[in-house]
Amino acid sequence: MASYANEDVLVSTEWVANVAANPEAHPNVRIVESDEDRALYTQGHVPGAVEIDWQVDLQDATWRDYIDRAAFEDLCRRKGISNDTTVVFYGDKSNWWACYAFWTFKLYGHADCRIMNGGRKKWALEGRPWSTDRVDPAAGTYTASEQDMSIRALRDEVLQHQEARKPLIDVRSPEEYSGERLHMPDYPNEGSLRGGHIPGAISIPWPLSVNEDGTFKSADELTALYVTEGKLSPEADTVAYCRIGERSSLTWFVLTYLLGFSNVKNYDGSWLEWGNAVRMPIVKGTSPR
Amino acid sequence: MSTVAERLDEVVDDFVDLDGREKLEMLLEYAATLPPLPPGHAGLDENRVHECQSPVFIEVDLRPAENGQPGVYLQAEVAEEAPTVRGFVAVLAKAFAGRPADEVLAVDDTLLDRLGLADVLGMLRTRGLRAIIEYVKRGVVRRLAADEG
Repeated sequence: MASYANEDVLVSTEWVANVAANPEAHPNVRIVESDEDRALYTQGHVPGAVEIDWQVDLQDATWRDYIDRAAFEDLCRRKGISNDTTVVFYGDKSNWWACYAFWTFKLYGHADCRIMNGGRKKWALEGRPWSTDRVDPAAGTYTASEQDMSIRALRDEVLQHQEARKPLIDVRSPEEYSGERLHMPDYPNEGSLRGGHIPGAISIPWPLSVNEDGTFKSADELTALYVTEGKLSPEADTVAYCRIGERSSLTWFVLTYLLGFSNVKNYDGSWLEWGNAVRMPIVKGTSPR
Repeated sequence: MSTVAERLDEVVDDFVDLDGREKLEMLLEYAATLPPLPPGHAGLDENRVHECQSPVFIEVDLRPAENGQPGVYLQAEVAEEAPTVRGFVAVLAKAFAGRPADEVLAVDDTLLDRLGLADVLGMLRTRGLRAIIEYVKRGVVRRLAADEG
């Protein structure tokens, strides 16, 4: 059985439990929870974990963009994260938001990021302890890099990318891909004016990458899904998108870190931008083109 | 018996001086008081709040209150994974319990601004909670129409 391209990027719940039980022995590790519902962290988190929220902490409140470099540095300092800290992300929803936070940390060049495989779900299934303590870590010292645009695709680049017929992955539900619906099943319609997908995009819904307990599928299963069936090439310029860039950050993580693809970008503007912008080419139905 | 507006003023008083973390803790306290759906009513599509993240089912009832007049009552089932929504629905259930329809219909979405939740939850989540207020008001209007018909 093949192993993941990066074995170390995933840590087990057991490893995190050991860090949580002996924080003094791991001064260089910071555990970070990122959730869809913030009250989950309040209700109970991994002992010692800090929270970073995708909306309130990572997004700029005025511009539709991520926080800038200075704000990212300030966030890290407040959360007790320094440049050499091992940051372990976990959260609800099969680690969507954990992957989103992971991606944002990579955007600003953070070296050592990990994901706790299985997230909140597996931690709960194993009956591990939750804490309601307020976590107030000693301030970190942080200098961020400029945004690493090798992992982020903006709209104009995606437009050229699809014109050049390079690989695109739509990770939304089949109904969103075909244009039957404008938003996730069971989710609010966050205002897309048009439905469908970007021309040429293949549909590989994100849930195919994860197991029932929230862990990632095996390297063999992922290779079968993306390389054998999906016909994606590990060296090709590849762009993943969804509705607001959170589900596609999970797919970006899987391709880049678990399968070792060398050139994958997340289009964080995703359908909420594409389906609203003027003169964007759109295909309806189940075929890529 | 205090009115919906008076009860919501009390809720706002509960929230207004709290920091972000305390606001979430207060929502969790409310969440624990949510009246459950009666047996057999869970998962009914007619009660599903389709605007909402995660499975949320709210039943809006109009039945005689203590004073004999028709009053609004909410019962709900909210997924474990969505404690913020559970807490907010519980706030509404408590504030509306037994009060006349016109008082419920007069509630507007400035409630969320007054609670100061937008800074804690961000714009997208706050929009989801606004949708719940609208869902409940539509439910009240439907009940009124059914009673008249």
